[in-house]
Amino acid sequence: MIREYAERLARELAYDPSLSRRVQREVEDHLWEAVAASPAHERLEAERRAIANFGDPRAIASQFALVSLSQQARKVGVAAVLLIVAVFIAMKARLVWYGVMQCPPIEAMKALGEIVIAVDRYAFWLAVLAGVAGWIYIDSRRLPARLTDEYRRQLARFSLLGSAAGAALIVSVLGDGVLTSLRLAASQSPVQFLVPVVSMAVELACAGVLISYLRGMSSASRALIRRGGAGGSRAAP
Amino acid sequence: MLKGHLDMIVLAALAPGPAHGYAVIEEIKRRSAGAFDLPEGTIYPVLHRLEQAGLLAGRWVTADSGRRRRVYALTRRGERALAEQRALWDQFSDAIGSLFKGGRSGKNPA
Repeated sequence: MIREYAERLARELAYDPSLSRRVQREVEDHLWEAVAASPAHERLEAERRAIANFGDPRAIASQFALVSLSQQARKVGVAAVLLIVAVFIAMKARLVWYGVMQCPPIEAMKALGEIVIAVDRYAFWLAVLAGVAGWIYIDSRRLPARLTDEYRRQLARFSLLGSAAGAALIVSVLGDGVLTSLRLAASQSPVQFLVPVVSMAVELACAGVLISYLRGMSSASRALIRRGGAGGSRAAP
Repeated sequence: MLKGHLDMIVLAALAPGPAHGYAVIEEIKRRSAGAFDLPEGTIYPVLHRLEQAGLLAGRWVTADSGRRRRVYALTRRGERALAEQRALWDQFSDAIGSLFKGGRSGKNPA
């Protein structure tokens, strides 16, 4: 009966597998301890009582939803900064490679290249600013006991900063793609493609991961609001 | 009423030393002489939230029964937060006490 209850609660938290596993383990231990301490002579009755005292799994799961979302938002903040750093390293590695391999840009495309470089640079620094600002912002917010309107607004602001960072990073990566193509168009040796292709793959993967994190947070946020936000948005008494 | 002060209650229950969820609930019941008899499951989201806020530190240990359990302890930040909340509560309680005393003695029959 206890295992069944803990599994039911874990299923309610399936959207966050690590939280689900941890809660299942904690709840099972709690309930077995309550059974051991119960004065009830019959074990089945003691188990039933322990479960009744523990509360409704759906209500408990909805209280965990906010904790999970906040944790996810903080992870997205850290991930955004790390992914932007990874893109920066990939860009720098490619530039060093161009120097070593001596592959200059095509002269005829120089004007286009300069425009793309400017767009790329601004987009990248916008991604850095928005990503770092989002990370600092969400990390400095205090998690309330229930989803308040204020915290909802804070999450919306963080989502906006995260989306701005994600969009700017995509523009920057696309710009890098154009610049890499312009450089490699005149290349003779396939060896010259090695680092540019790998670094572009890294950049694309980083942008993809950031977008998938942002989408995950956004759907978790919508799910939390649908669940009623861990007790609604009433002010604490 | 209780829900709004759950963080303070949990921090206070952990003030004597590290404990796992069940022991925290038992401590709350014991020290409140059964007045705070909340659904036991509500304590876990609070413990997780306080841990995430850096007020508690949790670690897994193996109990005598052989089961793995998570034990929570107040961090420095948690101790400071508890001291602040205790001071605020004392202030609030004194103010309400004075208000009630004043109401009883200063009642105007007119």
